[in-house]
Amino acid sequence: ATLRLNHNNPPEHPVHISMQIMADRVAELTDGDVKIRIYPNGQLGTQRESMELVQNCSLEMARSNASELEAFEESYSALNLPYIFQSEEHFNDVITGEIGADILNASSEQGFRGVAFYTEGARSFYGDRAINSPADLKGMKVRVQPSPSAIRMVELLGGNPTPISWGELYSALQQGVVDGAENNPTALTTARHGEVAKHFSLDEHTMIPSVVVISSCAYDALTDEQRTALRQAALESMEAHRKSWNAASDAAIEEAQKELGVTVHTVEKAPFVEAVLPMHEEVAAKSEKLADLIARIKAAVN
Amino acid sequence: MRSTVDSTLKCALVLIFSILVVCVVWQVVSRFILGTPSTTTDELARFLFMWLALIGGAYTLGQGRHLAIDLLTLQLSGKRKLLSELVILGVVGLFCAIVMVYGGGQLVAKTLASGQVTPSLQIPMGYVYGAIPFAGLVMIYYCLSFALDLGSGESKQADEPAFGPLD
Amino acid sequence: MASAALLLFGAFGLLTAIGVPIAFAIGAAAAITFLLFMDFNQSVFIVAQQMASGLDSFTLLAIPFFILAGNIMNRGGIAMRLIAFAKVLGGRLPGALAHCNVLANMMFGSISGSAVAAAAAVGGVMSPLQKKEGYDPAYSAAVNIASCPTGLLIPPSATLIVYSLITGGTSIAALFVAGYLPGILMGLSLMIVAGIIAKKRGYPLAPRSTWQEVFRATADAILPLGLIIIVMGGIISGAFTATEASAIAVVYTLLLALVWYREIGVKDLPSIITESAVTTSIVLLMIGASIAMSRAMAFGDIPFALSDALLSISENPIVILLAINIALLIVGTFMDMTPALLIFTPIFMPVVRDLGMDPVHFGIVMTFNLCIGICTPPVGSALFVGCSVGGTSISAVIRPLLPFYAVLFALLLLVTYVPAISLTLPRLLLGY
Ligand code: NA
Ligand code: NA
Repeated sequence: ATLRLNHNNPPEHPVHISMQIMADRVAELTDGDVKIRIYPNGQLGTQRESMELVQNCSLEMARSNASELEAFEESYSALNLPYIFQSEEHFNDVITGEIGADILNASSEQGFRGVAFYTEGARSFYGDRAINSPADLKGMKVRVQPSPSAIRMVELLGGNPTPISWGELYSALQQGVVDGAENNPTALTTARHGEVAKHFSLDEHTMIPSVVVISSCAYDALTDEQRTALRQAALESMEAHRKSWNAASDAAIEEAQKELGVTVHTVEKAPFVEAVLPMHEEVAAKSEKLADLIARIKAAVN
Repeated sequence: MRSTVDSTLKCALVLIFSILVVCVVWQVVSRFILGTPSTTTDELARFLFMWLALIGGAYTLGQGRHLAIDLLTLQLSGKRKLLSELVILGVVGLFCAIVMVYGGGQLVAKTLASGQVTPSLQIPMGYVYGAIPFAGLVMIYYCLSFALDLGSGESKQADEPAFGPLD
Repeated sequence: MASAALLLFGAFGLLTAIGVPIAFAIGAAAAITFLLFMDFNQSVFIVAQQMASGLDSFTLLAIPFFILAGNIMNRGGIAMRLIAFAKVLGGRLPGALAHCNVLANMMFGSISGSAVAAAAAVGGVMSPLQKKEGYDPAYSAAVNIASCPTGLLIPPSATLIVYSLITGGTSIAALFVAGYLPGILMGLSLMIVAGIIAKKRGYPLAPRSTWQEVFRATADAILPLGLIIIVMGGIISGAFTATEASAIAVVYTLLLALVWYREIGVKDLPSIITESAVTTSIVLLMIGASIAMSRAMAFGDIPFALSDALLSISENPIVILLAINIALLIVGTFMDMTPALLIFTPIFMPVVRDLGMDPVHFGIVMTFNLCIGICTPPVGSALFVGCSVGGTSISAVIRPLLPFYAVLFALLLLVTYVPAISLTLPRLLLGY
């Protein structure tokens, strides 16, 4: 079977390269019986559209992220909480372990399943000024993704959350419609935000991974051996991705500093953590499933 | 009957368009003047816009104002012209029935069943997509109504193409 | 995939030929093509989804507002004052109003970054006035359509931002600066052609104005011109985004027409709004359906087949670049700009990189090429908007568009083979 996989990054993006590793590996493990064909740049639809197509069996696979998937399966909101992960190791243990697998499988009733998580690093604030403490965010217009958790987080930190579409963000930063935004360091180079935002403050509030999903129809049509092969290929590519992402992220920070003149600030995180802590309880109060997931993630620190 | 449908759609369009203007203006005022940006107007505007386009599309069909290339149909007259008009109405009606009402209906049913909600407003995405089958139904009504006019030989309707250039 | 292409273009051609409205012909052709790759239920699902969701884009949101603002200006006496001003400024030039149209599109499109918004806003005001002056509506619509994409090259430009994102971060600053010269050249060459045609057709020259008339027209135009200051000033100062500016334009024109000039009353608003909704929907239904068609092409691997065929022709760089341009022009006839950029940039990028072409230069070539595409039938958003606001038909506007296509194509070749047109400014100003 050929599985079509749609995503909205260019083919040079680390996530595309890692998905290609998964595709090659799954073909190898199944002697070419299962092929994955990747369509970059959202050729078959936006993230939301392709999720809807996956649920309707019109498309076999798609790459989305934990933030967008909140609208389709609530379990993903546990991963999007600020400072839910204590470290990169903690994050990796969760997404490669049993908790990650439980979240990936949680949506089988919604017509799709998760296949793989790919880290996209930690997201931080950047803009026209350094953000050394939550006090620096006071009155600052910060562009957020239109997700309730991103909005709530910026509110708790004292900033003014402002939804602006991704395509309009470069101009909005340049003209001062917003004072800042939040993303991982590669936004400075791949989206060229380093040309118009000169301060990047490493408060590293969230780690929101990319998620590859497969439609239930396509998954059900696979044999048990093929499913095992897909899982193995996914885990191997996740391992490769972790290294390539870190390299890409480090390269982005260096390029932003040297070529775009961005100043990178290291930040004392404790006051940020304290300010957003109420969110953990708010989200846990939504359902038992979420409360349980949050407790398990916190307990997974070693 | 047709005039009732026309004027109902017209009211809906004026209402949606007005809310759309207020919505985007409020977005600017809340951010630039009040300093507390609205977090919902952006999404509301995008969804109202889809409704405006689709309901407007239905109303426009009722006015016979969708753009068509009329190079061939202009040459026709009499019975052939009538037949060509009926074929066009048939194609449009079938498209509306199959794609907009049936396909769009499935889209609405599935997005409602999967529980997908919009990110900011947290309203079911199925409501947003409801514009497609709704507009499709109205369009089918217009196609049937035009076809009946053609069949009963109302000469004015038969002379004027249902679709064509704007002036 | 050959069968996919055949089915898609065959169905579309047949349906439009028998007179089915274009929006429905595109949608039906897309639905039929999807049947090759998925079952019936899935293919009608995806077309229905794209008809609504394809419209979920921030550049499109400006269309209804600028169309509404244009209609308010026409009915509220604002456009009339602007035109009196334009006539005393350029009345002695053949086709003065056409030149106004091009210049306004360059300014407006530059700031709004959207070709369709420019065509709607400028064409909505200019075409009734041109009609009053005895210009053929098809000619004025052609001028408006051909010149509205200039703002996609003159910065800021949402299109160039999209290109930068697709190519993994080509410098937006460099792309912006690189767009100035090609964009301005495009506007100027269109003005030359428009002037020649106007002279040939003997469009009226205004009598020489007296100083008193000049003063009066200027004084009358101050408030209407305030719109430009508010819209452009607001965007540049960061008060609002280009999309939001469209709604601000509605409020400003409404206040002017309703409160200051009092040429319309609240009772006139429903008909103005309905009229604007109709124009908006004509365009948006076609755009939504053409997004579905682009998806059908992507599912059918039509883009790859097309580019493979063209690139196998030769190994000569000059021929390859010509082949790429021709491929994009063909694509542009059927596909809207953004999907064409999204699909073809990654296909052609490795090829031109091997030829040693600069990514900034290629971005400008691609954008320039697809600017022509949005003006060509059967599928072109600028063409759709231009015909709708200009009150003319697609078949009528083709003939007057031909000379403009010719000059745009010549300029496209110049921009392709002379990198300096694009790269001199970024090198001088940014050290690119
Ligand atoms: Na521009
Ligand atoms: Na075209």
